[in-house]
Amino acid sequence: MDSKSIETEALFRLVKQLYGDRLSETELEEARKGVERIVETAMELRGVELGNWDEPFSVFTPYRRRRG
Amino acid sequence: MRPVFASIRELSEAIRSGEASPVELTETFIARLREHGPRLNAVVTVTEKRALREAWKAQRELKDGEYRGPLHGLPYGGKDLLATRGIPASWGAAPLKGQVFNYDATIVRRLRRAGAVLCAKLAMIELAGGMGYRQPNASFTGPCATPWSLRHWSGGSSSGSGSAVAAGLVPFAIGSETWGSILSPANNCGVAGLRPTYGRVSRHGAMALSWTLDKLGPLCLTADDCGLVLEAVAGYDPRDMTTARKRYRYEKVEGDFKLGVPGDALDETQDAVASSFKESLRVLGKYATVEEVEFPEFPYEAVTRTILNAEAASVFDEFTEKGLARGLTAPEDHYGPYARTVVLARDYLKALRLRERMARIAEDVMGGYDAIVAPTRRTVASPIDQEFRKVAPGTAKDVMGAVGNGAGLPAVSVPNGFSEEGLPTGIQFMGRAYDENRVLSVAVEFQRRTDWHRRHPPAFKA
Repeated sequence: MDSKSIETEALFRLVKQLYGDRLSETELEEARKGVERIVETAMELRGVELGNWDEPFSVFTPYRRRRG
Repeated sequence: MRPVFASIRELSEAIRSGEASPVELTETFIARLREHGPRLNAVVTVTEKRALREAWKAQRELKDGEYRGPLHGLPYGGKDLLATRGIPASWGAAPLKGQVFNYDATIVRRLRRAGAVLCAKLAMIELAGGMGYRQPNASFTGPCATPWSLRHWSGGSSSGSGSAVAAGLVPFAIGSETWGSILSPANNCGVAGLRPTYGRVSRHGAMALSWTLDKLGPLCLTADDCGLVLEAVAGYDPRDMTTARKRYRYEKVEGDFKLGVPGDALDETQDAVASSFKESLRVLGKYATVEEVEFPEFPYEAVTRTILNAEAASVFDEFTEKGLARGLTAPEDHYGPYARTVVLARDYLKALRLRERMARIAEDVMGGYDAIVAPTRRTVASPIDQEFRKVAPGTAKDVMGAVGNGAGLPAVSVPNGFSEEGLPTGIQFMGRAYDENRVLSVAVEFQRRTDWHRRHPPAFKA
């Protein structure tokens, strides 16, 4: 198996373990396709190299309640 | 004064001159919401009691010489994901039908402050499409139709907002967009839809789908109207930490416009869409310089998709864990949320890191232009009883949607033609962050030179 298939199957097993009892066989197969798409998308991202200094584009602001 | 299909500017002038009154307008539009709403599946709740209370208040204020601005006394509808005190906000989802909040969303409060009158909560795709729907029948109110053909879809997820404005059931409506949910109904219903810059409008009190992608914006008959509504609702809100501390005033931008058209703008578009777009470029060429632009190779869709998947999985974690998805309308939404529960943290963070690079690429590409122009959608409205992918299969990427939403950029869509079967096509103008006035000015000039926005669905004439 290639790395995409290995990752897809591993993640799908987790979905099946957690939620398999509430999904039919057909629905589980659709969920497996969904996992496959997520892995494909992730692999596209992983194909782009980033530097150590490239931070997430989100701003965290320390919080302090204003004096009331 | 014929209020139905009149623009906000026209209605506002009629109110100021005494030619129309807030109470008369409210009664007119409530009657239309009740008469036509069910045919379209566009309306969840007609908020008549509250509307008449707000309309009488506006009428008294205007009589006393207190003028709040161009929305004073004007009816509107809000997407059913907005919290409205004492009025259900069901988020389009059967398991949440009748859900009521005890406060108003900030955008609703700001519209009330501007004197606007809430007449209806409007239909939407269940959970704003957050479960991965693939068909129009994905709401407990049923599939919403475009007023141009009851056999075709309104677009989504702000389905009722687009449909109600196009049918003349309200002069304007509020919708939301995470990825395409304002522009798609604007396209399918032939109205103007504005996706503001991320953080321009407070999200407080609106259902979250993806915190860093969600935007609220207006759907109106004209781009000019969108600017008037945006001015009323924009601005910093301490209840939403992501709102920008920038004051917004709707003003016309003068000058010679320079527009960019992506080289692949017409890839896999339907003939009618391509034909309308080519004709639009001819119109644009009369008042703007139009050049071809290219977005360099980059996983734009993967970045925005991963952020959306990961945030939606977290947003709806409790909903999913409780098994509530089983009660949703579209069968694919029953299992849709489970796959995205396994998005890895490393990939979500990688997407957030790549988002900055994407935003810089967009800024580089767009820096020399007032707007990037493209068809709003590659297709006209799809049949109301069919899955989207079966109607329009294809592999073309939605770079404009991925970049625009991922980088939080503003865009306005306006109608630019019709297909042979009478379905509208749309054109979008996307700008740099906080450049709403620039994209609106380009669109307003386009509408000054065309009359697509003056055509209304024959079955809903007043």
